[in-house]
Amino acid sequence: MNYFCKSLWAIFAKDIVTEFRSKQVLPTMIVLGMLIAWVLRIVSEAASLSTTVIGPAVLWIAFLFSGLLAQERSFAVEEQEDCIAGLLLAPVDPGTIYIAKLFTNIIMLCVFELVVVPVIFLTFQLSVADKWFEFITVLLLGNIGISCVGTLFSAMVQLSRIRGSLLSVLVLVILMPMMIPATFALLLLFGAIPGELAGSGTLALVGNFKTAIGYMVAFDAVYTVTCWLLFGFVVQE
Amino acid sequence: MSKRAQSNCKDEPVIAITSVNKAFGSRLVLKNIDLHVDRAQGVCICGVNGAGKSTLLRIIAGLLRPSQGTVRLCGLDVNSEPEKAKAQLGVISHKSMLYPALRIFENLLFFAKLYDVKDSHDRVRELLEDLGLSSYRYDRTDVLSRGMLQRLAIARAIVHRPAVLLADEPFTGLDREASRHLISNFDKFRAGGGTLLMTTHDTRLALQCCNRVVVLDKNRFIFDAETSQIDTGRFAEDYLSYARGRN
Repeated sequence: MNYFCKSLWAIFAKDIVTEFRSKQVLPTMIVLGMLIAWVLRIVSEAASLSTTVIGPAVLWIAFLFSGLLAQERSFAVEEQEDCIAGLLLAPVDPGTIYIAKLFTNIIMLCVFELVVVPVIFLTFQLSVADKWFEFITVLLLGNIGISCVGTLFSAMVQLSRIRGSLLSVLVLVILMPMMIPATFALLLLFGAIPGELAGSGTLALVGNFKTAIGYMVAFDAVYTVTCWLLFGFVVQE
Repeated sequence: MSKRAQSNCKDEPVIAITSVNKAFGSRLVLKNIDLHVDRAQGVCICGVNGAGKSTLLRIIAGLLRPSQGTVRLCGLDVNSEPEKAKAQLGVISHKSMLYPALRIFENLLFFAKLYDVKDSHDRVRELLEDLGLSSYRYDRTDVLSRGMLQRLAIARAIVHRPAVLLADEPFTGLDREASRHLISNFDKFRAGGGTLLMTTHDTRLALQCCNRVVVLDKNRFIFDAETSQIDTGRFAEDYLSYARGRN
């Protein structure tokens, strides 16, 4: 195993062990996700909204805000006892630290989704029929998109001492190009948009399911590479 | 100290700082700093608050880039060969840089892996025994006293057998007994061929583990002498009254 893989694994394992031992982030994420689901369930009933229409919105709102909460903490841990200096003093490329943190944030979101998705499915009586593979693909691409941007901005905010509020504002603006096809893809999977209407009218902007996935893959690739390259500048000086 | 670290530092100064300037915006913090430190030397940098001591240490450690000038560790340029240079360096400060939620041996093992220490488990065991922390190895780091935490911070800093140890205000918050332990650990490190560079306000303690003292003031070194050439007791008193006057 070369040095890149060893150091990547060491930082990733350290982050996972630290989180599962301190239990600071995951419980808060789950509580926030549940709260969002229940509030929007009550709203959808009161407004007689179709659950297949509001379901995808609930999923992304829960993932987005809980994800941002987790990512904000990912560098707060490094601030305690000036641990970030300990990391940067080691002969590790800053890009390796970024990738390790990115993996941790993706895993955290996946664990969160394992708990929250069944709850939202039950609450909103959603079904994807036999399209589980497509559904998991959309969620995974969304996780990568949210995490790659969130990880970089978490480092920027924590290390520049601007702190919390700015992270959400900046990340939400940057994530907008991904959230549109992501929501569209889930609307198609839940049958909220009939297949024959996809690609027509204003929906032509995102095309069909495959095009939406294409947009998400492109977003993830471009932003992961960009954030990885920028991370070194963010953490140094 | 490892054979690798020693061999890299055989024929040249372990630390070579040449014409280093550092400015934050228009504020000049360091001006034309030159410092050469040989193997196994212990150098204490004294200076009042804001003199630029910590900035200089951060530049040597590669955490800050100098506005001008070069810093070489064992012949390796800190800015153009950062990974190789960092492998020669251990750093301690008044913060431990250790993860509170991890156990003592987990913390050391983590840093041993980051520095690619081949015999990481044996090295961690050896350090825990040397520093008297063996019986606490399964304790979480956040339950340790300040003195023990500083001992563990030293273990973290030397886990990869560095050639140079930088210590930024290492005595902050330590009682007399813990300070004595720290000094004996610094002596051990130097006896093994390691080079120590520290900043401190407490010149009396620093002079016990260093053989050279430099004073940084108004962005530059204004004093540089071997402790064998000066009356250390009188220097400590003179420095104290000078520092009071400057503050």
